[in-house]
Amino acid sequence: MTFVNFALLSGAGLIVIPIILHLIMRQKPKLLEFPALRFIQKRHDTNQRRLRLRHLLLLLLRAGAIALLALALARPSIKFSSRLGSQESPVAAALIFDAAPHMQYVREKKTRLEAAQEIGSWLLAQLPPESQIAVFDSGMVPQNFDADRGLSKQRIEKLDIAPHPRSLSQIVSEAVVVLKKSDMPVKEIYVFTDLSRASWRADESAKLQDRLHELAGVSLYLIDVGVTEPSNFALGDLHLSQQVVAAGGSVEIQTDISCLGTEGERLVELDLLAPDGKPQKISEQIKRLQPGESQTVDFRLTSLKPGTQQGRVRIVSQDSLVADDVRYFSVAVRPPWPVLVVAQQPTAETAIYLTEAIAPAEMRKRNDARFDCRVIGYGELASQTLDKFAAVCLLDPPGLEPVAWQRLTDYAATGHGVGVFLGRHALPIDAFNSPVAQQLLPGKVKEQVPREEGNTYLAPQNYQHSILKPFAPYSTRTPWSKFPVYRYWRMDDLASDASTVIAYNDGRPALLERTIRAGQVAGHVLMMSTPFSDRVSRRDAWNVLPGSTEIGAWPFLILANQIVSYLVGSGEQQLNYLAGTNSVSLPIDDPTPRRYVLARPDGVSTALAPPEKAELSINGVEQIGNYQVHSAGEPIAPDRGFSVNLSAQVTQLARLTDQELSDIFGPFKPQVARSNDQIVRDVHDSRVGREIYPWLILLFAGLLAVEYLMSNWFYKRE
Amino acid sequence: MPSAEQYLKPEIVRQIKRLDLRAQFIVKGFLHGLHASPFHGFSVEFSEHRKYTPGDDPKDIDWLIYAKTDKYYVKKFEAETNITGYMMMDLSRSMGYTYQQEMTKFDYSICLAAALCYLMIHQQDPVGLITFDTKIRSCLKPKTRRSHLGDVLSLLANLKPEGETDIAQSIVQVAAMLRHASLIMIFSDLLTEPTAVLDALYRLRHGGHDVILFHVLDEAEVQFPFRGMVELEDPENHRRLSLDADAFRQDYLAEIESFRTLYRRECSQARIDYVPLDTSMQFDRALTEYLVNRASRG
Repeated sequence: MTFVNFALLSGAGLIVIPIILHLIMRQKPKLLEFPALRFIQKRHDTNQRRLRLRHLLLLLLRAGAIALLALALARPSIKFSSRLGSQESPVAAALIFDAAPHMQYVREKKTRLEAAQEIGSWLLAQLPPESQIAVFDSGMVPQNFDADRGLSKQRIEKLDIAPHPRSLSQIVSEAVVVLKKSDMPVKEIYVFTDLSRASWRADESAKLQDRLHELAGVSLYLIDVGVTEPSNFALGDLHLSQQVVAAGGSVEIQTDISCLGTEGERLVELDLLAPDGKPQKISEQIKRLQPGESQTVDFRLTSLKPGTQQGRVRIVSQDSLVADDVRYFSVAVRPPWPVLVVAQQPTAETAIYLTEAIAPAEMRKRNDARFDCRVIGYGELASQTLDKFAAVCLLDPPGLEPVAWQRLTDYAATGHGVGVFLGRHALPIDAFNSPVAQQLLPGKVKEQVPREEGNTYLAPQNYQHSILKPFAPYSTRTPWSKFPVYRYWRMDDLASDASTVIAYNDGRPALLERTIRAGQVAGHVLMMSTPFSDRVSRRDAWNVLPGSTEIGAWPFLILANQIVSYLVGSGEQQLNYLAGTNSVSLPIDDPTPRRYVLARPDGVSTALAPPEKAELSINGVEQIGNYQVHSAGEPIAPDRGFSVNLSAQVTQLARLTDQELSDIFGPFKPQVARSNDQIVRDVHDSRVGREIYPWLILLFAGLLAVEYLMSNWFYKRE
Repeated sequence: MPSAEQYLKPEIVRQIKRLDLRAQFIVKGFLHGLHASPFHGFSVEFSEHRKYTPGDDPKDIDWLIYAKTDKYYVKKFEAETNITGYMMMDLSRSMGYTYQQEMTKFDYSICLAAALCYLMIHQQDPVGLITFDTKIRSCLKPKTRRSHLGDVLSLLANLKPEGETDIAQSIVQVAAMLRHASLIMIFSDLLTEPTAVLDALYRLRHGGHDVILFHVLDEAEVQFPFRGMVELEDPENHRRLSLDADAFRQDYLAEIESFRTLYRRECSQARIDYVPLDTSMQFDRALTEYLVNRASRG
């Protein structure tokens, strides 16, 4: 306990006054004659004892009141922290600023970050001289205290939004580490935040509490610069059906729009960048939302021209948080991938299911098929140049010569895809199990497994593989059991780098995968243990995958496209990134090495280092928007491009509840302040203690009242 | 004791006269309202006949008249008192106490005694006066002549309450002294141990005497009106007690009430008339009230 006016405590000595009055200045009794004294005599002793007790009580009350008044005038404060301190003692302080994108929410013409900077600068000036100060934000990790206060001030003024913010839980933990380096007795952590739930991670709470436990006595303040009832419309993350598409093909773009606070109607627009860089509206939708509601927004981009197409989806009218009103995208449009399909004679019949599935005749006519299939018989394979094809699919292959296997292995090693779909002609099996063949194939072929009962079918378990990803939303609804497999090859002795992509429901592998590497380049090999293009009308058909009379062929169509896309490598090229990506790699298939220039979303262009090994590596992609890569000296049209978006998570404005705050900090629950005055009060309470003057005065008044009541009761008039 | 000459002094005469007048006033007022003696003697003189009304005592029906007239008449008698009255006056110092009233307990008692004396003499009843403190101090023999009233009043007017008292001893002395059944009227504040007093009263009652106990207290003794710290002194034994009057009031009142209750209960059992009085009461009204009560008891 500390006192503002310690000297006034001596006033407590005045309690001697009532004691003296009680002992010395007793009222001299009036002498009266009274014959009936005998009636008094009887009860006199009891009454005198009671009287003395009452006098003593009153004396105590009066002395207590005087002592209490002296104590109140000395203005004592109770300090809740165990450490001693005063308002002016230097402190070790960590100022943590939430610089996540949701801090861009504008209220009274100020973003929340600007409001935090304003209060932070004010607070910095309030900290006692000689204090040690460290400034943290969502992207900056200082390892020690700032050299001087000027540097701290500069840091606060230069704070900027971090597109990929670290969680505040993590930053507070790091701040504790820095504070532990200080010898100052008073340690304080100030967190300037809008209390958005997105800035905290529940799974880091235990670590945070451990750290705070290590620094016992640290004072923790949350400076709430948020808006208690924010109003906002936000776009969710963008989902593109494919990022690399054949010329003339189409792309589905899906996102969602959500409403927080006030209901309303919003226009959502899809823009595509014209060659001159200006956005052109392609499509628009009007969405009406209630508070808390979320609706899906779907767009379809069709007839895309070759090259890199970039665009954006945006909410046309602006609101208080603009960061979540626009999402950018890039799509690479290229010529159809050439695919070589090798099939048994007559090839027109044996390959038709696959070729029609991946390049339907209708689309070939319109020149917007994704794949350009060339179908040959196994007799022509030896004479066929493979390098001009992106992938080779062997439908129901016979046992090939070692030379053919070697060619295919070399072909795969150059980054191409090879698909082997076993069938009834896979004989002799030794040809598949020879060492040369096994360099390419992911496993050995053992024997045929008949399943005439019709109760064997494909049963994918893990939908994380890019081949199966489109099935993930329908994982429980895809009717695989309606497509029975009557016979398949048992495969065993899998290569060490092979893995099962799809298994049968009896647990045996149906589709195996292997990657053939040669240095940085890698090609995929897929091997299926049952035919993929067997005619279902055959009485001895090994399966009915290409079509069921009940269901149709939609699982087969998706699976075929996914398998071939995987083989040609279209699914591997990523053009759309979330903020926080350290580096972006763009494949360069230009045979002649050239220099490239990167145009950033803010219009600033920088020259890139010459690409190595057919890949352009780009670092420092913090900005949100569309990036374009031009060949140096030919700035006419973008050769390539990619997009970087904010994660929808970092712009969420939903605030922490008290319970969540308690869960995050456990026993170290911070004091939450919303104004400068409140900060001053909280900090004063913590450093010096909470002044209990009002309570003492209240108690004093109470004592006086009790004294008055008691004295009136004791000496009540009849 | 005052000499004969003292009686003749104008202030004494005035005092007596005043007493006489006061007594006359009380008793006449009383007689006007009552028309009958409250003291029933052993022989009665026929007064008149009146028609019987339900509620009359059937023993009073005159059967001769009934035989003659075939109507019920009751005989009315006027008491011819032959009872001898003794007034016992407490002379203790405490009887001379008053806090704020004009009259001391003693003055109050004299007024009562004078009134009763006048009443009895007016009815031709012999009445005597006995004064006592620790023992009997004086005694005026009962007489019925009118001049006796003057003697009684003269004696009362010259009495001065002082010294200690022994009520029980005095009563016992009186009981031993009286040979015939008499009416004993005791005027005292009874500020002594009650057991012995009650025993003495029982003895008096056992001797066939009719006893009226006028318990006279000062208003201050009944209401305890003191405030703050006071030191109280007993005038008889000079003991002192300091106390907070405000804090003590309730206890004192409870104690005095229990004291009066004790006498009321015990006297009731012994068929003694207990008349609690204090000096704030109008003594004429108090007396009238008592006499009416006694008359109605028959």
